[in-house]
Amino acid sequence: MRTFSVMPARLVWHALSLALLAAAAAFVLVPLVLALLNSLKTDGEILNDILALPVDPRFDNYATAFRKTEFPRNLWNTIVVAAIGVGGIVVCASLAGYKLSRTPGMLSRVLFGLFVFSMLVPFHSIMIPLTRIAKELEIQGGTVGLGVIYIGIGVPMAVFLYHGFVKSVPREVEESAIIDGCGELALFARVVFPLLAPITATVAILNLLWIWNDFLLPLLMLTNSKAYTLLLSTNMLFGEYGNHDWASILAALIMTMAPAIVFYLLLQRHIMRGIAEGAVKG
Amino acid sequence: MSWSGKGRRVITLLAFVFPAFALYALFVLAPAFGGAWYSFTNWNGYRPSYDWVGLANYVEALRDDRYFRQSILFTLRYVACMVVLQNVIALGLALLVESRRRTKAFFRTIFFMPNMISMIVGGFIWMFLFTRVLPAIAAKSGLTFLDQSWIGDPRYSFLAILILSLWGGAGYLMIIYIAALQSVPAVLKEAAAIDGAGVFGVFRHVTLRMIAPAATIGVFLTLNSSFKVFDAVFALTGGGPGRATQVIALNIFEEAFRGSYRFGYASAKSMILFLIVFVITLVQLWIMKRREVEA
Repeated sequence: MRTFSVMPARLVWHALSLALLAAAAAFVLVPLVLALLNSLKTDGEILNDILALPVDPRFDNYATAFRKTEFPRNLWNTIVVAAIGVGGIVVCASLAGYKLSRTPGMLSRVLFGLFVFSMLVPFHSIMIPLTRIAKELEIQGGTVGLGVIYIGIGVPMAVFLYHGFVKSVPREVEESAIIDGCGELALFARVVFPLLAPITATVAILNLLWIWNDFLLPLLMLTNSKAYTLLLSTNMLFGEYGNHDWASILAALIMTMAPAIVFYLLLQRHIMRGIAEGAVKG
Repeated sequence: MSWSGKGRRVITLLAFVFPAFALYALFVLAPAFGGAWYSFTNWNGYRPSYDWVGLANYVEALRDDRYFRQSILFTLRYVACMVVLQNVIALGLALLVESRRRTKAFFRTIFFMPNMISMIVGGFIWMFLFTRVLPAIAAKSGLTFLDQSWIGDPRYSFLAILILSLWGGAGYLMIIYIAALQSVPAVLKEAAAIDGAGVFGVFRHVTLRMIAPAATIGVFLTLNSSFKVFDAVFALTGGGPGRATQVIALNIFEEAFRGSYRFGYASAKSMILFLIVFVITLVQLWIMKRREVEA
């Protein structure tokens, strides 16, 4: 008993907090681990013992899912949409955010206010007319059109972030470049844009994650299965089989989330900083 | 070079803003105003013509549409649970993670990971857990409370949606709380401790005060995202059984794109959602402004 009475409260707290953290970590990881384990089993094994390790790990399910979801094509589609969306947002928003921040006056304030206003509008309030506009413009159904729509929807938040960041960039560099006879656009491309690199990283990461994981807009826009993104094909696979073919569904789920997880493990420091910044300023 | 300095400045401003503004106007402003306009019409998506019906859609949505009212109530219940649970859990995790030295980064990495996964994928994974894994565990271990109709029984499917949402969302808020905790100056805590405050005293009087702004952000982020929740419910229950777990966004989606195609009517519902989110955001700005003045 003596050992208990001298055991400092600190140690008890230390053990307790570790236990709580371990429990929470298990809650987060167990679903992912079970999905991974069962994706390596046959349907029979899943039925027999769902918690067991795969007896003879097999990648048949991945081959099936790879074929059924047309993985390479849909991965490519997703990359195209994300590249157009993120690239467009960075270019358009840095130009606009920079100039709006540097130009005083009524017009500049009104334009900035219009961008900020939209951050109040939920996507569900624009989605119905948006499908009609996309149809009229004949960009419904394709990955390029979808990417361009993402630019329009993602630009306000990015303008806001660039606008705030530019305030902290000293003007002297630009002024000396102007004296040297540098044109406005060249000045921006060669002098200003590199100075905005930190906020560009934040904007790119936030928008990449958003577009990569967004489901509803592609669901409304991509009517042709040739243009499906990863999430859409996974969703279709699910609808097709109901709850039956879990083995290949799990394999498809693992393949769908793998790129984002790898991206996260490689860049997590930047991602977390970007998220915290975006949340506080947005 | 005949422009005056001011005219030239306006032209450059417009040129720089144009690409962003044009796309934004086309894909956000126009549909936003279009939606407001359609909400007063009986446009159904097929017919080229439609009539002005005044407030009829709004009256129908709020007075006669049992399912829409149900979806509002369900969403309110979900929002209330999420605001409390998500923030308490996130703050708890942040405090626990920050109390560690060597394992800090490890746990932070794990807790934030679900945030990288689309709630569509997360929803399907949890459906596997709810429909296959939990019943199997219950059969093996005799923990019969695990063997519920998690997806098929409205009482449990609400819980299932909450569990999925917390699994996916708590890590995000945790990052915000961690950033706030790290900005609490150690000097303040030490001073309070010297003045005789215990561990919980320091927590209540120093830490909690200093992270109040983060809590405001956390609460409003949760409010905003929970009122608009779609993916998690779509993937896990699809709004079912029946329409028991249908949230507002799903109700709008089904009204517009599944079945009735009543675009005008669905637009009125989406305007109601907009007004809810709008009011919340105004309150948020008002509270933050007031706090800034005080500080």
